[in-house]
Amino acid sequence: MSQLRENESKTLIALGNAGGRLSVGEIARASELDPSAIMRAVLFLESQNLVLVKEKRSTKIVLNEEGKMYADQGLPERRVVKELVKMGGEGDIDQVLRAASLDESVKVITLGWLNRKGWAAIDKETRKLKLLKEPVEGSDEKLLSLLKEKGSVTLEALDGELKDAVEVLKRRKIVDVHVETERELELSKAGWDLVKRGVETVKEVSQLTPEMLVTGKWRETKLRAYNIQAPVASTWPGKKHPYLRFLDDLKRKLVALGFKEMTGPTVELSFFNCDGLFMPQDHPAREVHDMYFIKDPERGSLERYQHFLEKVKKTHENGWKTGSKGWGYAFSTLEAARLMLRSQTTAASARMLIREDLEVPGKYFAIARCFRPDVIDKTHLTEFNQVEGIILGEDLTLVNLLGVLEKFAKDVAGADKVKYRPDYFPFTEPSVELVAYKKGYGWMEFGGSGIFRPELTLPLGIDVPVLAWGLGVDRLFMMKAEIDDIRYLFSQNLDWLRRVEMV
Amino acid sequence: MPTVEVDLEDLELLLGTQLPREEEKLNEVLSYIKGEAKGIESNEIRIELKDSNRADIWSVEGIARALRGYLGLERGFKDYHVEGRSGVTVQVDSKLKKIRPYIACSVVKGVRLTDTAIRQMMHFQDKMDQTYGRNRRRTSIGLYDYDLISPPLRYGVAKPDEVSFVPLDFDEKLTLREILKKHPKGIEYGHIVQRFPVWPIFMDSANNVLSFPPIINSNDLGHVTPSTENVLVEVTGTSVETVQNTLTNVTLALADRGGKIYSAKIQYPYGNIRSMTTPNLKGETFELGLDYVMKVIGIQFTLKEIRELLGKARYGVMKASKNSLVVKVPCYRVDVLHPIDIVEDIAIAYNYNKIQQQWPRQLTIGGLSNEAEFRDVVRELMVGLGFQEILTFIMSSPETLFTKMNVKSQRVVEIANPRLSSMTCLRNWLLPSLMEFLSHNTHVDYPQKVFEVGHCVVHNEQKENKTDDIETLACVTIHANASFTEAKSFLDALLTNLGAPYSLREESHESFIQGRAGKIIIGEKEIGIIGEIHPQVLQNWGLENPAAAFEININKVRQHIFSKP
Repeated sequence: MSQLRENESKTLIALGNAGGRLSVGEIARASELDPSAIMRAVLFLESQNLVLVKEKRSTKIVLNEEGKMYADQGLPERRVVKELVKMGGEGDIDQVLRAASLDESVKVITLGWLNRKGWAAIDKETRKLKLLKEPVEGSDEKLLSLLKEKGSVTLEALDGELKDAVEVLKRRKIVDVHVETERELELSKAGWDLVKRGVETVKEVSQLTPEMLVTGKWRETKLRAYNIQAPVASTWPGKKHPYLRFLDDLKRKLVALGFKEMTGPTVELSFFNCDGLFMPQDHPAREVHDMYFIKDPERGSLERYQHFLEKVKKTHENGWKTGSKGWGYAFSTLEAARLMLRSQTTAASARMLIREDLEVPGKYFAIARCFRPDVIDKTHLTEFNQVEGIILGEDLTLVNLLGVLEKFAKDVAGADKVKYRPDYFPFTEPSVELVAYKKGYGWMEFGGSGIFRPELTLPLGIDVPVLAWGLGVDRLFMMKAEIDDIRYLFSQNLDWLRRVEMV
Repeated sequence: MPTVEVDLEDLELLLGTQLPREEEKLNEVLSYIKGEAKGIESNEIRIELKDSNRADIWSVEGIARALRGYLGLERGFKDYHVEGRSGVTVQVDSKLKKIRPYIACSVVKGVRLTDTAIRQMMHFQDKMDQTYGRNRRRTSIGLYDYDLISPPLRYGVAKPDEVSFVPLDFDEKLTLREILKKHPKGIEYGHIVQRFPVWPIFMDSANNVLSFPPIINSNDLGHVTPSTENVLVEVTGTSVETVQNTLTNVTLALADRGGKIYSAKIQYPYGNIRSMTTPNLKGETFELGLDYVMKVIGIQFTLKEIRELLGKARYGVMKASKNSLVVKVPCYRVDVLHPIDIVEDIAIAYNYNKIQQQWPRQLTIGGLSNEAEFRDVVRELMVGLGFQEILTFIMSSPETLFTKMNVKSQRVVEIANPRLSSMTCLRNWLLPSLMEFLSHNTHVDYPQKVFEVGHCVVHNEQKENKTDDIETLACVTIHANASFTEAKSFLDALLTNLGAPYSLREESHESFIQGRAGKIIIGEKEIGIIGEIHPQVLQNWGLENPAAAFEININKVRQHIFSKP
């Protein structure tokens, strides 16, 4: 038989003192222990067959607000009777009610009860209320005063007469009745034996304190064992956003593959977002439903880029020296200066191509917020991130472009198989779509790519091939995080962010 | 990207072969023309075509023409020619010069049009009008029953109330002005002509109206039915070249239905060319060096192989030397601007999936931008301090940025064409995005600590794009005991670990409680603000717990740290 801990001893002793039978609530009062501490002690005592646990159901009756008022002032019919006695046994109905401080609204009910109890009645001739007898206290009134005195009573403990009165008061809606379950503990024979032998208690503490350590008191102290199975309160770690973590990881992989990061502004000149990319100025994708434009000022300055602007203009109009026919329209430099929100990361690539520190051969990537006036739904956002890169070098070909795509699909996205499909972008030719197969997901579009058109590179002063690629990172992340709604990328749901798994 | 509706059986009829009915197999075939069918439940399928310049394949006839080459059913250049003159002349009015100057016509005789073919022709016409025709601003198409028309024709102008006719799908005569008000097409496209005092009109010698370009045809003459044998095609627009290209594509689609092509003569009172015969079915030629093909694709092709691949893609080869070819581009391939476009078609005809790919072997050194390196350090510290990172939109509204934050409106970068009232401008500070986030999470366990490193945008007249991108860190702690002191302890931990000693200067800011807010100063520079959130702001966001926050410009912090000696 193991030694008993403090709470267990106290519980056992309280039971012994009370003759072997108590409810948890009663033990709590007798032992000054917390009910939850008693329950933990009981679990152990029960496992040692020292106590038996029985569930006792009892029906509690308490007065409600109306009931309390009646308990204080008496039932309305009793109050009427009292007034009638004062008036000499007879009186005008309304006058009596007023004297008894009863409201017009309870008039009918009060008359009903007077009639039912046979205490008073309305005289048919005089239309006056007449006392029939001076009544003694009924069982309903007895119960009312008992409740007033005790606060609550248990149905099972009442005698027959009062039990019936409970029904009456319940129907009058002046008492609340509810069933309570209470655990009652009973000492077993082994329990009794132990109590009689005397319970040995070890002093226990729950919290180790600096004081115990300094004074060395911990040596004489028994630290209480905890229920290590008990649930604990939630706590949440500081965490990076899952989508940004995914992009961080992607960046690391790109850097490892030799890519340098490039950047660009949120508010972009149409020149970099469109014209420099050989998108004709009347292209349908340049209209208001595909791009956001800035209200004020409408235009930026192309002063620094005059040199390039002239060549881009000629290329659009007649192909300049690129070997192209051009688009054959009158290019507007005003339109090229129009300010807009970056709608594609390729704008950052165009900026990179004219930078003085551009390296050839070179590899660059950008992860940038892009904006398009889409309606926000499960698959569209009006703001989203694009990942894009360029590779420049003397002898780069379509063969290399496909090599880049395969590497991304397999190394970056963990795809099993890849397929290429002819694609179209205004600024690349040839253009290739990457379709990759991943077990459990099937074939999916992973990204688009191509070789920049000569009409793009030559006016910007680039005379080597430039391979360009973009990855559908949103889709890759959604697949990884097992979400089917793109709005979760900008989730406003803290609970989801706290719980989303990191690996 | 354009989407075309195609009747599969009709396409097979034009192709002369069966197509696979299984989606994946069918899409393998369609990938030659950069097309993808989405769902094949019925005979009518929708094909998404990625190339927004290849107008020739927006018709079922054009799709069949291209696929016949790739499927090996017909090789090489398809020669379309004009049988002869139709005798039709079109006199153009000089007043059109500023309104809609160009017109081109052809007559296609002996066509066999079924209901399906007519329906598909209408789809094609729509697609051309919308995409290549830029919603009819650049070009628009009209088809007429040639046998009901009395040439010569006149492309002229009329005052809005001067002429009336029965427009397509109506049964009463309307004036041009009434058409713009009452006819669905008038309502949709009226804006193209509305600002002019006179509007274009296309009439025959009997003064019957053929159409009111670019709005609507006449119901009497501009109606093509299965009993129509001879069709007059008319295209009007703002550029000679696009008008001609459009005419070519519509004319050839009709010719593929068994028609023979006859020309019309256009007489202009302005421009260099006073008289022009249309359609022009003469294709262009490009010189293509073998070296160039190999340099782009990266495969050593023989001349014979390239000729074969060109044939599959339906180009003609006029001349060949040892190292180069003169390639004849079909007149309908209006998308070919540069030899590179031909090279892509060679690669597609070869099949991308047959190419042995190779990772480029050039050595380069990778690296993150300085901004990214620093941003990551800041994020790591904030996570270490127990904050949850969040991600919010850069687009915002004055309501969010100012009204709800209890501060006066400031000038922000506004969007000219916003879609949502909650996204009308770019944010100039980040804290409101965090407050908005918290307002959506009042039911979630407190304490809550969130941060974001995000972009804000402000005006700067000196910059070429008239704005500055600012990267800021904002964080908020919100719970029953949140206070200024707590926020300051986080700020202190952050800036100490970044090696950036700071001071605070008392600041009166309406978003924060008076006497519990300060500007954050590093060196001599103000880099941000810290404070306990004003109860009014908490109430505006429906928050029932005290909160404290700070926001700092991390570009400035970084510059300060790296400019230290």
